[in-house]
Amino acid sequence: MKLTSCANEKEVRELITRGCWPAACTPELRAHVSACRACGDLVLVAQAFRQARAESTAAARPVSPALLLWRAELRRHDAAMERIGRPIFGAQIFAFAVMLVAALGFAGLEAREGAAWATWAFWRDWLAQLPQAAAAHWRGWSSGAADTSGWSWMVLAAAAASLLLLSGAAIFLANDQ
Amino acid sequence: MAPPEKQTRMPWELTLPETWPGAGHPLDAASAADTSMEKEAFAAFYARSAKSLWAYLTRASSDAALADDLMQESYVRFLCAERAPSLTADGEAAARLYLFRIATNLLRDHWRRPRTACIEEIPEEFFASGSNARQSENQILLEPALRQMKPRERQLLWLAHAEGYSHREIAQIMGLGTASIRLLLFRARRKIATLLRAGDAKEAEGRRW
Repeated sequence: MKLTSCANEKEVRELITRGCWPAACTPELRAHVSACRACGDLVLVAQAFRQARAESTAAARPVSPALLLWRAELRRHDAAMERIGRPIFGAQIFAFAVMLVAALGFAGLEAREGAAWATWAFWRDWLAQLPQAAAAHWRGWSSGAADTSGWSWMVLAAAAASLLLLSGAAIFLANDQ
Repeated sequence: MAPPEKQTRMPWELTLPETWPGAGHPLDAASAADTSMEKEAFAAFYARSAKSLWAYLTRASSDAALADDLMQESYVRFLCAERAPSLTADGEAAARLYLFRIATNLLRDHWRRPRTACIEEIPEEFFASGSNARQSENQILLEPALRQMKPRERQLLWLAHAEGYSHREIAQIMGLGTASIRLLLFRARRKIATLLRAGDAKEAEGRRW
């Protein structure tokens, strides 16, 4: 399709925009519009759309601006909370990674120095003896006797703390997703 | 010399807007006045622009319910946008242009969402109006003609002839080049003019019989 514009198009458009068409235009321009395809199209389409706009705006029932302001405020609040939460989550991940690296490093160091607990055989035996040992601890604790093995209590406390920490992290991750 | 202002909030709290009245820390007087002025400016802007935006969305989508949703979403995004023109500093014309751009993008997103096909490939029946409301003579002619136009053509025609935007402004709203707008608009106008004339002739024929 060849783009053929007319020199009078601008004038016709202005007249329509001002609402002066066809009353305030010269007879020459009116004659030109009835003969020119581009100007004729412009008048036909512009008048139809302007009338359609008037009808549509009359039918519009916009909601209260207060509702939109409230929704926008709520969304900004959520976005701000998300922005704040992001570095906290990053810090938690970082702390967890540091703890893991430290634990692995400590275990590796101990294994290199030949610590008994850092070997696989030690844990296998420990697991095998665990039910008897736990029963013995329970008997001792329930009878009120002081436990001489402070080391065992420390291991248990560390394990419980790790478990709690990991559970918290798991719950946080699950909620976040 | 004025005494230093007492810091009542932590820095991170300052990034949070007051959502619940009375729930947060009290805003200082200047800030409250600014907020109040902004709210008033927005309310005035909304009163002047909401109906024309709704008309644009309704005619471009042929769906009044969708137009309601998209209109609200457009204003919410406008209010939340960091780079949105300020009503007081940049003026209403710039804000209006930005608002129409948001609405145009939302319409485009809506048309793209149900399927992965190009917007131009969506059948026109999808956009057909289901309204049985009383129609004016103009609507009787314009509606069928609009239904035969592509969504982008409807948007272009509405922005140019109903809203009276220039080619440069339409290019900003649609995210296209000004030269492309000129050509696309010329084609769309010729196409709808042909359809309107054909519809008019058909109507006249019907009346005669």
